[in-house]
Amino acid sequence: MSEYVTLVANDGYRVVVSKKAASASGTLQSMLSEAFEEGVTGTITLHELDGPVLEKVAEYLCYNNKWATGGTSSGDIPDFPLPTAMALELLVAADFLHL
Amino acid sequence: MGFRRRRGQPLDGDDGGGVKGPSSALTSFLREQGINAEQIRQRYEQSQALEAANDDAANNIPINGSDDGNNNNDDNNNNKNNDTHIALNFALDSDEEEITDQTAVENDSKRQKTDSFYTPTVGTNLFCSECDQNFTVTPYSKKIEKSGRVGYLCPSCSKIQIRRERLAKKHEIEARKRRKKIAAALLDKKQFKLPSLQDFCIHVITENIDHVNALGEIGNHNKMKICRILAKNRSLNNKTVELFLDNNTTELEFWDCSKIDKNKMNQVASFCPNLVSLTLNMCGQFHNDNLQYFSNKLSNLKELTLDGPFLINDDNWQSFFESNTAKNLTKFHLKNTHRFSNDSLVSLLENCGNNLESLSLSRLDGLNSKPVYDLLPHFLPSLKFLEISSPHNENLIDDELLINLLSINCETLHTLILNKCSHLTNKFLVEGIKPFGANLTNLTLIDLDQIDDDGMNEVFTDWNINKGLTNINFERCISLTDASIYNVLNHSHQTLESLNLNSVKNISKVMFSKLSRNLTFPVLEYLDLGFVRSVDDLALAIISRICPVLKILEVYGDNRCTEKALVREDLTVIGRQTDSI
Repeated sequence: MSEYVTLVANDGYRVVVSKKAASASGTLQSMLSEAFEEGVTGTITLHELDGPVLEKVAEYLCYNNKWATGGTSSGDIPDFPLPTAMALELLVAADFLHL
Repeated sequence: MGFRRRRGQPLDGDDGGGVKGPSSALTSFLREQGINAEQIRQRYEQSQALEAANDDAANNIPINGSDDGNNNNDDNNNNKNNDTHIALNFALDSDEEEITDQTAVENDSKRQKTDSFYTPTVGTNLFCSECDQNFTVTPYSKKIEKSGRVGYLCPSCSKIQIRRERLAKKHEIEARKRRKKIAAALLDKKQFKLPSLQDFCIHVITENIDHVNALGEIGNHNKMKICRILAKNRSLNNKTVELFLDNNTTELEFWDCSKIDKNKMNQVASFCPNLVSLTLNMCGQFHNDNLQYFSNKLSNLKELTLDGPFLINDDNWQSFFESNTAKNLTKFHLKNTHRFSNDSLVSLLENCGNNLESLSLSRLDGLNSKPVYDLLPHFLPSLKFLEISSPHNENLIDDELLINLLSINCETLHTLILNKCSHLTNKFLVEGIKPFGANLTNLTLIDLDQIDDDGMNEVFTDWNINKGLTNINFERCISLTDASIYNVLNHSHQTLESLNLNSVKNISKVMFSKLSRNLTFPVLEYLDLGFVRSVDDLALAIISRICPVLKILEVYGDNRCTEKALVREDLTVIGRQTDSI
């Protein structure tokens, strides 16, 4: 079983993230279970997301992976940078991914 | 640098008693290490001799430069360099009064300047305490204290020092901001945790809400989230409200309608004709015409919650209740208006009473007739939720009225909220709640000062028809003590999810130890023990243990609670004095 999973956007953009990071998203986590093709091949095609949005999503997955555990009380967590123009599109994606 | 400093240090090695001046940390350190002036002088003389030899040989490598990177590069004017450096060395770290080293005497005057005159006049030549550079003092020279000595910095070191201080200040401000953020999160009753991607997006969107034309398919709960945040920021206005109106919407909550005018309010009904549930808070601009328009357009409306609709007058209430829309209502919550009169209530009861399952009448000062209140039991046969709070006069709500209401609705009623109906006594508990409260799950009795232990014990001892309450709020029921509270908790401890005993001041420490030995609260998530002064660190530890899923514990005003209390990591304790920002 690979440690990594490939996310594919509707325009063919591919990004590889660790399974641990991807499992922050409820949707991705359930897709990665053994019962589904995605879980076996380690590749998830997200028809709803285009390249730039997927890239930002992957960025958040890594950000979440890095900061979610520990450091909750220390408070020295940087803000997640987000381009204003993408906010709505990203919100739709985040809603879909339960992120 | 260390070597040079030590060598340049003109120390008095004489430890043999006598009067000594104040000694610095460095002096005592040197003394401890057994470094004395004699050694230093010997070493100096050796180096002098070596230097002379080097000079003779016209060697280009400076001896003193061995630990100073700059010197190695300045090989060309080596001789000159060496001279200056020797001089510099002696001017360094000079905190001794007595100088035995003869070669240092020539620098004596300068040294004394740095030491004894803490404010040298502008234009004096000094050696920088940081880089040992000779420089002229200006009004902008930075004064610093280093290992107990006061010195001045050359212009370039001053600049670095200023930048460093500015950076430190910035860091301090940022750290303070972060601490504030955590404290604020605590006040909002949530632990500081990483925001979700949706939260980040919503934050950006609400900041730029004026530039948004349509929200699109972001999910209804996200829409409501944005709507609530806008209301909280008080930026829900005629323009932003449009974002939430569309044909398919069945549920709308506008928590702050104070900036939505009459025309826009009509659009709510015309754009969302399928509304089933509508909540308008702070709707001071909600107009008679709006209510009329709503009653014509919103044929599916089942639930209506209005807070502060003080423009609607008695006639309009009556004509609204007579409309078909109103007759379908199953939920009607009304708060904060003095225009809702006795006749309005009669009309509400006559037209809608039969269908009403949820009724809330809170702070309605126009309702001041006892006979009208007494009509309630006659028209309300299927209530599930009843709130009567802050009546105009406490005498309006008495035991008989409640006993009647409960006897009729005992099959269905699950929530009973009677805040500030202070006329109620034990009789209402014993003859109303006990026999007719079989299905009650939520009992909120804020500020009922006449009910006491006798009534509570009577109800909650062997109250077998009720399988346990999930929500109990006895805030400011100041006559209650350990004796009854323990019985209450003993009855409902398996089912309680939320418990508020704020200001029930007679609860003592004994109760917590009794709870600790006998009861657990497997599903309790929220507990308010504010101003119960007996709550201390031990009580917190007990609560943390016997309530395994408790998330929020409020202890405002309990000044025996400190940060030392042993509580679970995932339990948020709010209101301790030590948590201040």
